[in-house]
Amino acid sequence: MDGRSPWYLAYRRLRHNRVALGFGALLAAIVVFVVAAPLWADHVAGTGPNATHTTERVEVDGEPREVVNREGEPVGPLWLGAGGKFFLGADGRLGRDEMVRLMYGGRTSLFIGVVAASITVLLATILGLLAGYYGGRIDGLIARALDVVWAFPVTLLGAALGLALATGGLGIGPLQISGESLWIPILIIGVVYTPYVTRPLRGQVLALREKEFVEAAVSQGSGPLRVMFGELLPNLLSTIIVFFAISVANTMLLESMLSFLGVGVQPPNTSWGTMIADGFELITSAPLLTVIPGAMLLLTVLSVNVFADGLRDALDPRAKLRLEAHAGKAEPEGTAI
Amino acid sequence: MAHFAIRRLAGMIAVLFAVSVLVFAIFNVIPSADPARQLAGRSANPQLIASITKEWGFDDPLPRQYLTMMENILTGKVVSYETRENVDERIVEGIPATFSLCIGAAVIWMFFGILFGYLSAVRAGGLLDRALTVVAVTGISIPVFWLAAILLNYLTYRLELFPSGSYVPLTESPLEWANHLILPWVTLAVIFVGFYSRVLRSNMLDAMNEDYVRTARAKGLSERRVMTRHVLRNSLVPIVTLFGLDFGALLGGAIVVEGIFNINGIGQYAYESLINLDLPPIMAITLFGAFFIVLFNALVDIAYAYLDPRVKLGETAQ
Amino acid sequence: MSPPLLSVRDLRVGFATEGGLVQAVDGASFELAAGEVLAIVGESGSGKSVTAETIMGLTRGPNTRTEGSIALDGRELLDAGEEELRQVRGARIAMIFQNPMTSFNPVYRIGAQVVEAIRAHRPQVGREEAREHAVGLLDAVGIPDPERRVDRYPHEFSGGMRQRAMIAMGLALEPEILIADEPTTALDVTIQAQILELLRRLNRERGLATILITHDFGVVAELADRVLVMHEGRIVERGSLDDVFYASKDPYTRKLLGSVVRLDRAAPLRPARREQPLLEVTDLVKHFPVRQGLLFDREVDRVRAVDGVSFSVAPGETLGLVGESGSGKSTLSRAVLQLLRPTSGSVRFGGREIAGLSRRQMQPLRAEMQLIFQDPYASLNPRKRVGQIVGEPLRLHGRASGADLRSQAGELLERVGLAPEHYNRYPHEFSGGQRQRIGIARALALRPKLIVADEPVSALDVSIRAQILALLSDLQEEFGLTYVFVAHDIGVVRQVSDRIAVMHEGRIVEQGPADQVCERPANAYTQTLLAAVPVPDPRESRARRSSSAS
Repeated sequence: MDGRSPWYLAYRRLRHNRVALGFGALLAAIVVFVVAAPLWADHVAGTGPNATHTTERVEVDGEPREVVNREGEPVGPLWLGAGGKFFLGADGRLGRDEMVRLMYGGRTSLFIGVVAASITVLLATILGLLAGYYGGRIDGLIARALDVVWAFPVTLLGAALGLALATGGLGIGPLQISGESLWIPILIIGVVYTPYVTRPLRGQVLALREKEFVEAAVSQGSGPLRVMFGELLPNLLSTIIVFFAISVANTMLLESMLSFLGVGVQPPNTSWGTMIADGFELITSAPLLTVIPGAMLLLTVLSVNVFADGLRDALDPRAKLRLEAHAGKAEPEGTAI
Repeated sequence: MAHFAIRRLAGMIAVLFAVSVLVFAIFNVIPSADPARQLAGRSANPQLIASITKEWGFDDPLPRQYLTMMENILTGKVVSYETRENVDERIVEGIPATFSLCIGAAVIWMFFGILFGYLSAVRAGGLLDRALTVVAVTGISIPVFWLAAILLNYLTYRLELFPSGSYVPLTESPLEWANHLILPWVTLAVIFVGFYSRVLRSNMLDAMNEDYVRTARAKGLSERRVMTRHVLRNSLVPIVTLFGLDFGALLGGAIVVEGIFNINGIGQYAYESLINLDLPPIMAITLFGAFFIVLFNALVDIAYAYLDPRVKLGETAQ
Repeated sequence: MSPPLLSVRDLRVGFATEGGLVQAVDGASFELAAGEVLAIVGESGSGKSVTAETIMGLTRGPNTRTEGSIALDGRELLDAGEEELRQVRGARIAMIFQNPMTSFNPVYRIGAQVVEAIRAHRPQVGREEAREHAVGLLDAVGIPDPERRVDRYPHEFSGGMRQRAMIAMGLALEPEILIADEPTTALDVTIQAQILELLRRLNRERGLATILITHDFGVVAELADRVLVMHEGRIVERGSLDDVFYASKDPYTRKLLGSVVRLDRAAPLRPARREQPLLEVTDLVKHFPVRQGLLFDREVDRVRAVDGVSFSVAPGETLGLVGESGSGKSTLSRAVLQLLRPTSGSVRFGGREIAGLSRRQMQPLRAEMQLIFQDPYASLNPRKRVGQIVGEPLRLHGRASGADLRSQAGELLERVGLAPEHYNRYPHEFSGGQRQRIGIARALALRPKLIVADEPVSALDVSIRAQILALLSDLQEEFGLTYVFVAHDIGVVRQVSDRIAVMHEGRIVEQGPADQVCERPANAYTQTLLAAVPVPDPRESRARRSSSAS
């Protein structure tokens, strides 16, 4: 006779949360949207995200229009007027297809967001487990290291690292990453956010460690690894999942900010952040170039946040991360200013 | 109390030292490129690079390099090769603008954050709560720089509701000072209002289940008193500590907000320097910002001991 | 006959939850006369606390369905408006709760909270006057040095003092009724005796009608005039104190009374053993350093949790270890099992010295000594299936795997009275008593020689306790187990122990055969401890009180 695991109960609760499910569906739709980028690029727009069309013309309802006119103003959204080409218009003097860039940019933003969040959560889990389980000197050491990273203004740290690594790239022993690679911003953002997630996880490990079932495991002869991964980790999973979702939201926001400042994603790669930076130059004449990528980012982050809330309510309906009340920071800041 | 102060001071110095070493490492050690060339920025030429190498001691062993860097920064000798200004002087000049921005935004976000959080908690589950939650979640999902750009374009440029142009000091004209700062204040406050109202709501909902709240009701206090003097009071403690940390972090300069709204504070200096790949100011501003974060960390711990009598001085707020 | 002070008729209280409507109170009717002490007894889930909270209007909410009538002096409370109810709370009916540790707001001083209660009902009273009144109240409940204590914070008071302060706050407006919901459950037995004495005095001197909610029949016998027994939301027995104890007609009540553990009735002793002891502890010390310092932590003080303890346990016998909170008994059990490293002293298990062994050296020995825990809700990993939990020790020590493991785990479950088909269920699907059985099965898995049971029945209902104690006794017979039974309740300890050791402030102050320690205690602390235990027998209780008064 199979029992009803806590996961099954959580799943049931989530199923009843229509708002969270709705935004989850929206998120899924956005993912489909960006995954379909090559399809759109090849079959509808007929161009890539970096291809320039400055001097070209495109046929709109039979009439030819300049992609970029003599004053340097790009054409606005054509919607389906040219069969899908320049659906959202051209992106400035370079005359690139904004819609195609939006889709490819989204791929980058989401990819960086998810991978960086994974790194953060992975590091935070390991550090939190070690610090919380062993306590004493190991905890002290980890806490000091986190304090130092924490002392940096988040944006400046990310920007400083971005600057330093974007030009020269990163070389640690046999590992060589070029300055243009997406892995530079991914690693930077992943590491920068680690302290904000480690602290609350460590707090929860400390609380769990006092529970009698942990003592029971030790009294049976379980060693540290068994206790950490067999007893503590399964009880941390729901917190980790929620933190992962929240981290994705925050890493996406940080990436876009760094890219906006020019120290995140580097050309020829494009992300929603770089698109907003590009658009900002023409904000008075072609505001849509700024509005649209930002709106996509907002919608995506919003969906992640709402879904994360739903996950949290489903996984732990009572406690609501009691740590928020007692720890200094439970939610990593989306406030990298 | 003295015990605690000395310990904390020693701790702060240790952290700041570690931060400075890290700054040094990031700028001068990690990059594979020649640090002198990086410092020279866009106006690099062989003579400049040579003189930088001498000034910063890049031919010396690493520890000596570090000491030279710290000496340059702390004694105000650092000069930006891009703009030819003295970095430390320009930072100090930017303080009034940055502080004006931070304090104003802080007042707004604390007021609305606490108000919304309180209303949400008291009417939990109702229509108002749901509406405020939507506002809050949207607030924390908005990219700040994008919001700044949008508001600047539509409200300042198009509708001309607010003046464009840079910061006006308070001493010159309080009205203009505020007028120029309203949009930046609101932009900065939006995210924090969302975050703080959610945290307060969550804390209050937890507190409402505590035994002492049941005791308060049982002794015949009105619902209002129970909510304010017991639930809210206890829920505000973590909010105060969060605020201290956030505010401290902000004092180092709100980079994108200052940059976009053209408020010449420390943040804008950082903004320009990043765009121009001008390193010396970034190093100095980073240290400046770290100082405030560490300072406010300590202040927060002291405040926590005042607010919660169970906590003895010496226990951190974490 | 004067009309009753409080009259409850056909009270029904239900809560709408995720899983449906939970009917907590299902038709309760009773009356409370002025000046009398009415005890409402029941196990968890009986509805006794909900009844009390509903009288105070504390259960009102969007998910609560209430029917019936509660009338105070003729005035109906159930449909009273918020303001009307507010005026009753604290001023006419006061309530004190179970956990004094969390019942006060930690950020306000005790005096301020008492003053707050006063001024909520009498806003015209000035602060100074209210404070003076608060000082007087603290004095009246027996708190020493009230002038200074009034300005202290709750965390600076001990548990017993806090409960007194709660009572003082309850008395502030001279209410006619005091509702006390498990007022002494969280307190040590010696403190409990003091609080009960206080409540008795207040009832006699002030004519304060009291509703006493409790699960402890000893407390009932000490204090009550009349008794109600509740079961699953209904009142199944009612009457005067003697009637309920001696002439109960209700089968559930009789079952409850039968399973009450009594200090003065013990199982017949087994013959004393003369063999080589299985466990021999000599001068065991466990100190915890308190560190403080300017830049580097120095040890400034030590907490002497275990301060030189010696005892031995023969194979097959049960040693009862009794102590109140802070006595060091939990630390002692951990130090003996090497879950804490002893500061000094010797622990010999099966003739071999184990004090100070490394984790690796201890690993194989762990199979021979196991632990049973107090909290059935925290001692099982909520994310694991119970079969997994029970089989884990076997897997850890390589005794079984795969299908064999499953079948052994199933057998263990069966042996403790659960169905082996429940192998795949999760802890949250079981009751407290069943979870404790699972914990016992887990401890049994490796066929240990020694089992240390740390308060194994303290968190369980009275009727379940007897079952678990019986189970432990059976298992001891069947598997030849040796027990160290740690508890604060000397009555329970006497039930199961051959020999008893009494612990106080880190030392064993008395040890010997169970009936010798319980009937002819030599040590003053033991005597105090025994005298404080409430006897669940009204006649005896009265006799004791009058003989100590004369």
